[in-house]
Amino acid sequence: MAIVVTGSRPAHRFTRRLGPNLILLAATVFFIAPLLSMARFALQSVPVISLGWSTLFKRWSWGAMTEAFHEPMFGSTLTLSLKLAVGTVFLTLLLLLPTALFVHLRLPRARSLVEFLTVLPYVVPPIAIVAGVAGLFRPNARWFVNSNYSLIPFYVVLALPFTYRAIDAGIRAIDVRTLVDASRSLGAGWATTLRRVLIPNLSSAVVSSSFLTAAVVLGEFTIANTLSKRTFPTFTLEYAQKSSQGGMALALLTLVASTALLGLFTVFIRRRARQRGAVVVVNAAESQA
Amino acid sequence: MSALTFTGIRKTFDSNVALEHFDLDIKEGELISLLGPSGCGKTTVLRIAAGFEVADSGTVSVAGTDITHLSAHKRNMGMVFQSYSLFPNLTVELNVDYGLRTRKIARAERERRVKEILELVQLDAMASRYPHQLSGGQQQRVALARALAVQPRVLLLDEPLSALDAKVRASLRAEIRRIQTEVGITTLFVTHDQEEALGISDRVGVMSNGRLEQLATPLDVYRNPASAFVARFVGSMNELPGMVTEHGMVDIAGYKVATADGLSVDAGANVMLLVRPEDLAVTASTEIGLPGTVTASTFQGASTEISVRLDRLDRLVTSSMASAVAPVVAVGQRVGISVDARRAVWEPAQSSMNGP
Repeated sequence: MAIVVTGSRPAHRFTRRLGPNLILLAATVFFIAPLLSMARFALQSVPVISLGWSTLFKRWSWGAMTEAFHEPMFGSTLTLSLKLAVGTVFLTLLLLLPTALFVHLRLPRARSLVEFLTVLPYVVPPIAIVAGVAGLFRPNARWFVNSNYSLIPFYVVLALPFTYRAIDAGIRAIDVRTLVDASRSLGAGWATTLRRVLIPNLSSAVVSSSFLTAAVVLGEFTIANTLSKRTFPTFTLEYAQKSSQGGMALALLTLVASTALLGLFTVFIRRRARQRGAVVVVNAAESQA
Repeated sequence: MSALTFTGIRKTFDSNVALEHFDLDIKEGELISLLGPSGCGKTTVLRIAAGFEVADSGTVSVAGTDITHLSAHKRNMGMVFQSYSLFPNLTVELNVDYGLRTRKIARAERERRVKEILELVQLDAMASRYPHQLSGGQQQRVALARALAVQPRVLLLDEPLSALDAKVRASLRAEIRRIQTEVGITTLFVTHDQEEALGISDRVGVMSNGRLEQLATPLDVYRNPASAFVARFVGSMNELPGMVTEHGMVDIAGYKVATADGLSVDAGANVMLLVRPEDLAVTASTEIGLPGTVTASTFQGASTEISVRLDRLDRLVTSSMASAVAPVVAVGQRVGISVDARRAVWEPAQSSMNGP
């Protein structure tokens, strides 16, 4: 007797795992609905009171966004935020990569202590950090507080919970000790080992850590505002007070641009890693799952 | 001439002693295996030689030069690790080239040596592949090529075959020996697999609790174990309790056997005799030797293994005899076991570490 196996229809597949699928659907709506609302508010030239199903496809326009581009502070605040993001990424990697490697190779027992320290920024509110540090530096090193780049150390601390985990997960995914021992037995010093073996094999962790850092910097408002720095997030808020639609358009742009960039890099890293058969760590949460 | 010498090495990790009074002298071109159970300190010896660990006391020297405190990357040791240690971001060719490049060797010379060494391990056709595109055995061959490419003073092999399946292990083992002999490189090989150690070494060092119990040729370690530990660890042993009756004689449940050189204990002392399976002979008559009942008989081609439960001792012993002379027995059959104790190792019945 012949047995015919037919593929199940999508509707059946949905109902077979009804519970999990409903939760997934609810979560998707929870995240997507505010973004769609945001997009309608920012990009439709329709009075808020008239936004509804009947106006869903009416008067969409990039006007609010392009107007914001012409604001005099737009370019300078965006440039500053990008510079701060780059600076923060470099300082974070400079501090965290050797630290995480050192902890893994030489001080494995200190791993839980370091993990605890890196989550402290979750617990201590940014306002408390900036108030304390600024209070200390203002009378003693005014030049530091006056510089726009004084934000970088704060951002490094703020990004620690994300960046350390991304790098730590990357290190756990490869046999660091054996690779280091192999490299050193072949005559390479620490610098060569780091440059030719460790960084290339941790590239996905380094990139994801860098993007998480950049995302933190491009969205940080409290510290910049408290120290009276004009970064892109502070400009966005100021502009939103002047033009609520324009402010929303800028916020949407930031969100979409950073998500798209992260997505592109994730695809790039996965493809490159697949070619080499390397382990991909896109983010800490994924690797620990 | 000594190629690698350990003198009075002691190494502790926190309060655990990994090595104590460890001395070893490896001659030029020799392959020595360190054999022992997990945690006996054999890998620590290798890591100290490589410079990954520093001994608490004692010295390590290469061809008479003290390298105890020399950094790992300046030692010129080639090492192959237990876990696959190839750099995943580099092709086979670049992995082999890695050590040559760190030594700043000219490009043409590097290319020549990479090609030559890949031919030696028969992987020249896979030069442009990445490690994940190779099997476990191929990866370890590349690791061996990478270690040999830098022309190290000593080759250190840290259980390089343990992650491989039995068939690949056997062929790679033979290949390691072939290459080692061809290149003539001094090699220290660490393993917990006695078949590996006995099969390819010039000498075998058996380790226990951070000490070298015996260092001898594979045949010597098997035939003349220096201690009860070595006897038990290398090959299999039957344990027969008995009492010393007079000089050189031991009474095993009423059956008297003669040992080779006599036992350095007084008559009346209880001892445990350790006898190899090939030194026990099964006879169809229960009148000869110790009577017992056959529990299993396994024909293995050239030899036959017969397990017998002894009546008077209530112990299971195994005899290994040449199939040509072994009696044909059935499970449950009554037989006699005669013991040739001339090569037996003994220990006092209450202790387990003393030798003859």
